[in-house]
Amino acid sequence: MKLVNWTKVISISMALLLLLSGCANSTGTKNSSAETKDKVEAQPKQGGELTFALATSPDSLDPHRSGLAVAGRVFRTIFDNLVIQAEDGTIQPWLATEWSVSEDGKSYTFKLRDDVKFHDGTPFNAVAVKFSFDRIIDPKTKSGNALSLLRPYVSSEVLEEYTIKINLATPSAAFLSNLSQNQLGIVSPTAVEKYGDQFGKNPVGTGPFKFVSWTENADIQVEKNSDYNWGPSNVENKGKPYLDKISFKIVPEEATRIGSVQSGQVLAAETVPPQNIASLKNDPKTQLLTVNTIGLPYTLFFNQRKEPWNNVKARQAVQLAIDVDSIVKTLYLGTYERSWSPLTPGIVGYDKSLEGSVKVDIDKANKLLDELGLQKGSDGIRVKDGKQLTLNYVDGSPNREKRNDIAVIVQQQLKKIGIKVEINITKDVASVIYTNADYDLYGNSQVNSDPNALRAIYHTRTPEEEAVFKGLTGGSDTELDQLLEQGTAELDTAKREEIYKKAQQKIIKDAWIIPIYVFPYTVAASNTVNGITFDALGYPLFNDVSIE
Amino acid sequence: MTIVNKVLLKISTAFVSIIGSSILVFSIIYLLPGDPVLSMIDPSVATPEMVANLRKELGLDQPFYIQFSEYFMNVLQGDFGQSVVNSEPVLPKIVEHFPATLALTITSAALSVVIGVTFGVLSAIYRNKWIDIIARIIGLFGISMPTFWSGILLILIFSVFLNWLPGIGSDGWKTLVLPSLSLGFVGAGFIIRMVRNSMLDVINEQFIVTLRAKGLSERAVMYRHALRNALIPAITIIGLNIGELLAGTVVIETVFSRQGIGRIVADAIMAKDLPVIQGVVFFSAIVYVVINLLVDLSYSFIDPRVRRAN
Repeated sequence: MKLVNWTKVISISMALLLLLSGCANSTGTKNSSAETKDKVEAQPKQGGELTFALATSPDSLDPHRSGLAVAGRVFRTIFDNLVIQAEDGTIQPWLATEWSVSEDGKSYTFKLRDDVKFHDGTPFNAVAVKFSFDRIIDPKTKSGNALSLLRPYVSSEVLEEYTIKINLATPSAAFLSNLSQNQLGIVSPTAVEKYGDQFGKNPVGTGPFKFVSWTENADIQVEKNSDYNWGPSNVENKGKPYLDKISFKIVPEEATRIGSVQSGQVLAAETVPPQNIASLKNDPKTQLLTVNTIGLPYTLFFNQRKEPWNNVKARQAVQLAIDVDSIVKTLYLGTYERSWSPLTPGIVGYDKSLEGSVKVDIDKANKLLDELGLQKGSDGIRVKDGKQLTLNYVDGSPNREKRNDIAVIVQQQLKKIGIKVEINITKDVASVIYTNADYDLYGNSQVNSDPNALRAIYHTRTPEEEAVFKGLTGGSDTELDQLLEQGTAELDTAKREEIYKKAQQKIIKDAWIIPIYVFPYTVAASNTVNGITFDALGYPLFNDVSIE
Repeated sequence: MTIVNKVLLKISTAFVSIIGSSILVFSIIYLLPGDPVLSMIDPSVATPEMVANLRKELGLDQPFYIQFSEYFMNVLQGDFGQSVVNSEPVLPKIVEHFPATLALTITSAALSVVIGVTFGVLSAIYRNKWIDIIARIIGLFGISMPTFWSGILLILIFSVFLNWLPGIGSDGWKTLVLPSLSLGFVGAGFIIRMVRNSMLDVINEQFIVTLRAKGLSERAVMYRHALRNALIPAITIIGLNIGELLAGTVVIETVFSRQGIGRIVADAIMAKDLPVIQGVVFFSAIVYVVINLLVDLSYSFIDPRVRRAN
């Protein structure tokens, strides 16, 4: 008797639940299509709060201390730079109005804007610039990326209140472009002295937004800087932002992050996984923004300290056997572009002629390995002196951008030419790669604004440098070294481009690397959000953003 | 042994467990592969002096026992050290974020008890009827479904499609519902099985036959007598389950982007922030030991036989 009652109650409530969920779903769809129809272009609307979901948490909002890209996305709103790099690669004024370079290329004199002040009310001037740069080279600051960008900086001289001379140890063609990177933002000296090593939790700059609060693992809030009227050339709105507030939420799980845009809990979210890109494109309520990052693409590096990878023929065989097109298409479903060079498109000196230069050729690859005396054994794996030809492919964990899956496909592809690939996924990249150099093939990428980034990776390293950490290639080539050194010092852009083209060709010809893909920075946003743009490096800009 | 003595004994064993776990935590982290110093410094600017200085600054150039005793003495004084990533002191950070984890743990535990006991009892009473089958399926799913998956599923259904509840954040009771369900479901699975089995055992005992013979209503027999006896083993499970729940928060807080110490430790592991990892793990060990102490002590209040055995 009682059992029957229970059955009824439960089945009725189940049916109700189903009914309710069905209703909610269908009304939701109707609303969305109505919204898209009513959408009209209008003048940017003032006010509102943009909620923006980040994939990971910044470690610090001190631009001189954090090297994380995600931190840069936040402190880009708080700090400004002396100059800005336009999309065409040219350097344009920002906090500096004009500049000149000495004949020996070792000192730069900047004239600064005289109408800028920090969020704490203190004036921006030459003293603040000197303070910022001297702070970066002070070991107590523990600068990482900022320090490598500022090099070969030696000192600054305050010539007048708004004129500063910066001295370098050696000429550097990358210097101006580096000054535009967000890690070299100008900080308020008063605030740094006030907060000490907690400045990263209380950042004060001159940017379009002021820092409000950081609740760890929940959100970082910034609000409109109403005094702002010194926007750089890469944004339309040079004055104060339209938005009242931006709230960066930290949502590490990708399905949750994309779901929170679709459910309307946030208005925008970064880093959309490839499998969601197609469905978001078809969603009438959302828009998808994509920008390719520039610098060094995701590249597989041979460890030339190891046999037989110190031999160009062995490397070329692998280069000819790996079908990069099919890897990129299979894993990223047409959402990532394949890369061909040690540099990404969009960077000064990128060599477009390399595109299409490497074609899969299994026969030629087999022939090259035959020439090395590596003969196929009964199991199809090549053997020399009783030793099987294995390739130790190391990759990091977690499986960022499906890089572990690339390893699996490469393993299948290299089987065809008799190479046994052993995949080694490690959480401890620092020891395996940089301390012990215990790998044959390892992949990495780097966001950078200048081709000089090649030098740190491809230039021959001294034993002292190797003692601190091992370089990625382990190779050495005098001709390449010369090109990279010339590239650093050459101030004539056209000549510089030629130098870097030669360097790229050399690296590909000698098969030092297998370039794989260019990483696109993606943002999914509600259709009500207008005006999200990106700087030359692919960092989002919020100066022009408005919410309907 | 008087009850006071018994309580004192339990407290002192709890203290020993805490010291033991602190040694364990410290050694595991000490033995982890990889040089923490090298992972903290950007390799592109590192010099041998910088590496050596940082090693010295963190005390990592000292032998193991000195590192440990210094750490333990500091912990006794309430100093868990500071984060190497942003120089924040560890203990205030834990104290700030623990309430969110506690709220999640308590609601999940409550949900798992409510779901677990309800379905456990129903499935024992209506054994082999369809409600029993449903309860067993729920139990099976609860135990075997990983929380990160059930979590994403709940977000998809209740947040993205239905738009009833928020999928992210940790402000307000609404944000607690989905994560607690996802986390509580695991415990519920175990409790359903546990309660069902012990209920079935109890139902077959002679005193139940006596009660029925006495003419008590079936409802009174089941809920007043059988259930009470069946709940005792379930309480043990709930105590042990707290550990699972605390561990589960690492995943759940990440999936639902909640604040909490699970999130802190997950981030700290990625950043190799040793003082933070040590602090959170040690702190969780203390919480676990204390909760199990309370569960132990609660037996004497719930079960008259334990009380009388004193």
